Amino acid sequence: MTIDFYWRLPTHGCHNSIRTSGYERGDWSPLASGNIAPGLDAGGEPDGFAYIDHLAEIAKAAEAVGFQGGLIPSFPNTDDPWVISSLLARETKSFRFMIAFQPGFGNPVHTARAAASLQRATGGRLLFNIITGGGGPAQLWWGDSFAHDDRYGRTSEFLDIFRGIWESSAFSYDGRFYQLRNGGLPSLLRQEEFPEIWFSGSSDAALQTAARHADYYLSWLEPFDQLGDKFARVKERTAALGGEQKCAVRVDLVARATEEEAWRDIRAGFENVSEETRQRWRGQATDSIGAARQAALRPSDARHYDELIVAPNLWGGFNLLRGGPALGIVGSYEQCAAQLDELIARGADAFILAGTPHLEEAYRVGEEVLPLLGRETASLLQAAE
Amino acid sequence: MTLAIHWRLDPAADRQRSEPGLQPPLPDFIRDRRAANRNRFDYYVQVAEAAAQTAFDGLFIRHRIQSDESRIIAAVVARAVPRLHIIPEFPASVGSAVYAAKQATTFQRGTQGRLGWAIAPDADHIGRERESDPLGDEELSERLDEFLTVARGVHEQRPFSFKGRYFEVQNGGFEAPLTRFAFPRVYLQGEDDEALALSARHADVHLFRPATAAELADSVARLGELAAAEGRRVAAGLIQPLLTRGDAGQAADDASGQTLPPGALVGSYDQAAEQLARHADAGIAEFVLSAAPGLEEAYRTGQEVLPRLRALTARARKAA
Repeated sequence: MTIDFYWRLPTHGCHNSIRTSGYERGDWSPLASGNIAPGLDAGGEPDGFAYIDHLAEIAKAAEAVGFQGGLIPSFPNTDDPWVISSLLARETKSFRFMIAFQPGFGNPVHTARAAASLQRATGGRLLFNIITGGGGPAQLWWGDSFAHDDRYGRTSEFLDIFRGIWESSAFSYDGRFYQLRNGGLPSLLRQEEFPEIWFSGSSDAALQTAARHADYYLSWLEPFDQLGDKFARVKERTAALGGEQKCAVRVDLVARATEEEAWRDIRAGFENVSEETRQRWRGQATDSIGAARQAALRPSDARHYDELIVAPNLWGGFNLLRGGPALGIVGSYEQCAAQLDELIARGADAFILAGTPHLEEAYRVGEEVLPLLGRETASLLQAAE
Repeated sequence: MTLAIHWRLDPAADRQRSEPGLQPPLPDFIRDRRAANRNRFDYYVQVAEAAAQTAFDGLFIRHRIQSDESRIIAAVVARAVPRLHIIPEFPASVGSAVYAAKQATTFQRGTQGRLGWAIAPDADHIGRERESDPLGDEELSERLDEFLTVARGVHEQRPFSFKGRYFEVQNGGFEAPLTRFAFPRVYLQGEDDEALALSARHADVHLFRPATAAELADSVARLGELAAAEGRRVAAGLIQPLLTRGDAGQAADDASGQTLPPGALVGSYDQAAEQLARHADAGIAEFVLSAAPGLEEAYRTGQEVLPRLRALTARARKAA
């Protein structure tokens, strides 16, 4: 048994530091001197580099230190994971591209053909984080008017077809959302390995769909007891259906040589959060259960960073610093490694880690934290065999 | 008027090229050093490189359901080959128009704005059943109309809302920096009035099939009238298969041994350049040229026909 570690490609620009709120990498903040990808040349004009050039650097860092690959998130104002993966296919060697994708956004046959083509372009390095959508105004922004539980039904049918035409040259299907007759990928494409499916979603509808289709059930970090229970529930439910479900967690880290140094960065970052950012987090509408659970931490109402320490080395204000989930790990290299060990003990089979800035932190976490993992984990994994 | 000349990559042609499973084995006594992990993506990049080195303006990538997906190929070759415009062809049945438009913004941002969109004709009824596309024949044109309205709408307007039969968006539209580059140049095709009317509303370029210069001049005029009625200008293009050789006799000999696509231009380099120049005179502003095999013929066309064609059209421009 092994544990897989992934990194993340930030698809909405990146900061020079966890302490700052501007996007000095990419063009999500107004271009200023010192910005990169794109930067400004001596005459003050864009220098011809693009944000993809910085993403290429991060992907190469992640594969160099032993991450399997990286999650490539997709939101309204991010770059797109399919295009990023295709652009970077030939300049990475082992990096696996985990595309975040909402099945409702593509015709299933066309999407399967694109996926198989990308498998061919990358030598089989594609996998999916299937998202079924946060709902609310954002779904309509995307042009998707389906209700929450319908979306899970649609995702399930989409994946039935996706797999069906990958395995057969004459696949027929008569679903509520999709019908097809005699569909199938061309033989050259069908030879490619079917991509691993990672699944997110905390509602009952999500768990049911995951049990049917997912290789990995992916959760944001939650308080450890709560997360351990959730993983146990997911694994039981899948076992009851005769399957086996691996569980994964995505978590941001601030790992430093000492714990004091790590909290200093958190404190400085927290004190730089603007009132506007807090307001934005207060006002978000969603029908995602996972997002609502995280919002219950109410990080936007905290006045001091230490009000958000929910357990030793566990801080609940990450969303204020860089968007995404609220809960993350803060500590020395040894403490961070111990926390990851603890998550493995509670049923995590894989991780998507991240830190800001993503390039330098890929090296730091890969070189300083991962090698410390596991005296307990190693014996645990051995015992399991 | 400057001509834009594109080479057409057919992902389903030259099937055995770089594809380990389809290549014949070498004799035992030859030590085989071919990498097991090569495949036609290596060849696509090579064709794109050939087109760039021989001064084509762009690479047009055909929509072929029996091979790799054109937009994946497009992004792979765009990153590998500088300068060249990349025009993948795909049908409006791909899915969400918002998602397609959003993918286009990333492509544009990553390639300094080198993407074009060619909309492929829809599959026939049986083909659409295979592709989980439930529409009837009579709905296809309206879907394409909505697809392009929404795709361009979310790129160029914010907030953008739309409620049609096939697509619905509420309070949509992209923000900076996604909109830093223009919406891709749109290429549409089709010979009938409905296709021309759709182009008049949505296309930057309408691509015609091979025809005589006189026929093309009529089509170009008709396109111009329809576009003017919409308050727009639409450039005329031509998809032109070729078989060109150093002399006309050789071209005719080679042509007699094979099945050519309809309307293929067969002749010497001079004859081909002269005919294409007449088409340019008739109002064709963009050419999508093709010949098989894709790599060797890209070099031949780029090195032999293009310089002659560009010299002729430059002379005509000067005379005017």
